[in-house]
This record gives sequence, C-alpha cells and structure tokens, in this order.
Amino acid sequence: MSDSMEALYQQRLQRYVTALRNGKPDRVPVRPLAAEFVATYAGYTCQEITQDYTKACDAVCKCASDFQWDACVGNMVYVWTALTQAMGMKYYASPGVEISADTAFQYIEPPEHAAHMLPEEYDALIEDPTAFLFNTWFPRVSNDVNAPGEAVTFRHNMALVKGGMSMLQYFGALGQQGARLRAECGTASAIGGMLKAPMDIIADKMRGYIGLTDDLLTIPDKVKAASEALVPHLTHMAVHLSGADPERNVPVAFWMHRGCVPFIKQEHFDAIYWPTLKKVIENIWSHGLQTLFYAEGDWTAHLESFAELPEKSIVFHLDQSDPGETQRILGKKFCITGGVPNALLAYGTEEEVRAKCKELIDLCAQDGGYCMDASAIMQNDSKPENVRAMTDFTIEYGKY
Amino acid sequence: MSEHTPQPATNRAPGVCVPWEEKRQEFPKIMGDEAIVKRTWEENDQLAYMFIWHCLLSF
Repeated sequence: MSDSMEALYQQRLQRYVTALRNGKPDRVPVRPLAAEFVATYAGYTCQEITQDYTKACDAVCKCASDFQWDACVGNMVYVWTALTQAMGMKYYASPGVEISADTAFQYIEPPEHAAHMLPEEYDALIEDPTAFLFNTWFPRVSNDVNAPGEAVTFRHNMALVKGGMSMLQYFGALGQQGARLRAECGTASAIGGMLKAPMDIIADKMRGYIGLTDDLLTIPDKVKAASEALVPHLTHMAVHLSGADPERNVPVAFWMHRGCVPFIKQEHFDAIYWPTLKKVIENIWSHGLQTLFYAEGDWTAHLESFAELPEKSIVFHLDQSDPGETQRILGKKFCITGGVPNALLAYGTEEEVRAKCKELIDLCAQDGGYCMDASAIMQNDSKPENVRAMTDFTIEYGKY
Repeated sequence: MSEHTPQPATNRAPGVCVPWEEKRQEFPKIMGDEAIVKRTWEENDQLAYMFIWHCLLSF
C-alpha cells in the first residue's frame, strides 16, 4: 500500500466517521450502498457477480476507484448464491438459474401453508432459539438438510460440510476485500456487520409476512416473547462475532423491512417491534457500536420513537421517510444518510439528480451529520451517469 | 442416542451450541490442562453458533 493511498484512506475514514457521529467533517461524505449497480458499471451480469463473489469484489473496487467514493460496502450483493446452493436453501431465486441472468437475486417468501415456522412452534423458538434453528428451521429451509430423527443422507452431510466451509471461505474473503478497498482504492468499509429487527426476522425468515400479521392478531404474546428471545442472540452476533471492524468506527446495518405502519398496526409497533429492536440497539451501543437504521419504506410515523435513543447511537437512513420531518425530529441527535430516490437514479436526468442532492445537502447537512447515498441499495437500473452526478456534485457542493 | 451422548442442553446461552459442561461429561478424566480443552471446545462451538445464526440473518 502506498503512503499516499493510506493517507487518502485515513482522510476518508475520518470524514465518514465524523459525519456518522453527527459531526461536521471537511465535506459531506459519499457512501453509496452499491449492489448490482457495480455489475452494470464493470460489465458483468447479475449472475456473474452473485454466483462468483470474486467478480463482485472486483467490480466494487473498480467503482470505488473510478467514482472516488469515501466509503462503500465490500460486497453489497451480499448473498453469494453458490453458498446458498451448497446448503440447498429453498428461498432464493438465483440470477441465471431460476431467473434471468440480468435480474437481481430474489427472496421467495413461502405461502402460508408452507411457512418455515408453524404457529404452534413459537414455544420451541422461545425456549431455545439456537436449537430451534438447527433442528427445525434449517431442515425446513433446505432441500438437503434433514431434521433429527430423519435419515442422515449423503446430501445432508454434504450440505452441512459445504455450507460451513463455504461460509468460512466467504467471510475470509470479505475481510480481505476490506483490506483491498483500503490499499487499492483508499475507500473505507461502510458497515461492520448486518442484523435485522427481531420481529422482521420472524416475518422474513420464519412465519412470512401474512403469517406474522395473523399471529399479531391471534397470538401477540407469542410474537412478543419470540422477539424478546432473539434479542440476546442478536446482541451477541453484533458485539462478539462482528470482527469486520475491531475499532468500531462504522455501524452495524439493520435492514428494516416491514415493521412500520401500515405493514403493522401502531399498537404492534409500540408493544413488540420497537421495544425489542430498541433493546438490541441499546445493548450494542453500550459496547460502542452504532446502528445504521436502514429504514426501507416510510418510517415517518415512528420518528418520535427513534428520537428516544441515546444521542449518536444510530445513523438514520432516508428512503421514503419525509426528509424534512426526519431532519427536524432526528437531525440534532443523529447522522442522516441517503435520500436520493432510486427511481431518479434510474430514470431521471443528471440535472435532476444534482438538484435533489442540493436539496438534501441544504436540508440535512448544514451542521454536518449527513452522508450522501441513494434511498435504497443501488441495483442494476441505476444509470452510471446519474451515480457520477450524485458523487461529483456532492464532492464539489458538499464542502464545508 | 449412544450412551456417550448426554441429553442436549436447553435454553442455550448466546454463542453456545453444545456447552462445555455437557461435553466434559464424555471425558472421565482429562490428563493434562483442562482449560485448554475447554477454551478450544468453546471457540469451535462458537463457529457452529455463528454458522446457524448467519444462515438466519445474512443468507
């Protein structure tokens, strides 16, 4: 690594971390969460970067260098489908396999009658979450893994061995990718881990959204107890097993999916979703880890709840939440990121992108505490010229 | 279940799949330093924990 590249890295890391802590750096950092966009830009298909993470890592480095990003994620196309295939996982549609090679991987939510957890299994999850995952959930989401008492097959054995070995290989490569971004591009890694809110996990991976909403009406106490049972495990994963950022400069991202009104009722947010998510955030903040609230959708109805959190404990990401209200309610306590609509990056003009960036910087960045980014992860519909406009305008106009 | 396999633990703590206390019962006597065996058991055990929770959270 050259001295000048290391100096550039340190300058960008300092800029990014200062903004994350709601301070005023030398300029607004540019921190795009670029997913399949990197394939478009680097000349790969979605299949190539999703099935072969080395191509994804190459493409990220090309983008980071060419666009001069301050921070980005080493591989935002996080689901390496060769790994999920090795484990026989049922719930992904892989580019070039089940869907076209130029479509981003898709999560397939099971129908209610085939949910990955049955309503009568809440007690088993609550009693012993780790055993439930191994003994019930994993066999149900895998075509190859069998449950205790079922036949131990060759494919069962292979799924476990290949899954474990592949995961270790992949995480090792992601660590190397962070070092590569630093050494070759002078770019900081944007996040130090990934989690979800307890109730989102139950909806996304266990009961399905329809199943969960049924449960909220019929057995809300079970949903609450299960969400509470997940809290210590999520805390442990973030605090003790997130080795990507030992200095704890950058946040752990929480992908927040369907916990806001109108996906659920306000009473369920107040009684279950928020108390359990809040507990995880407070726990990991007590260990010095920030949370990136990747608040997909419109969370305006819940901003006052988020304002209860300790100052600087979160970074709030703007998707469709009201930017003015977000800045008014959260801006004094927390860094805000994002807000450039993905539709604008896909279908707008460069001039429209620059105008939106100016609006966001004028609104959210006056006293620091803002990072430029799209509203949601940038997929293969984002136009390179618009991403260039977002980046270059911020570097120029975002100086303090 | 073989005679050497104790009943599995319930309500496992975060980071634990098969607790050392459960595994320890399989060794009538540890001739050397038990602390080394315990530490490395727990380090490997945590990898299994990480595997299943990452399957849930990340994949």
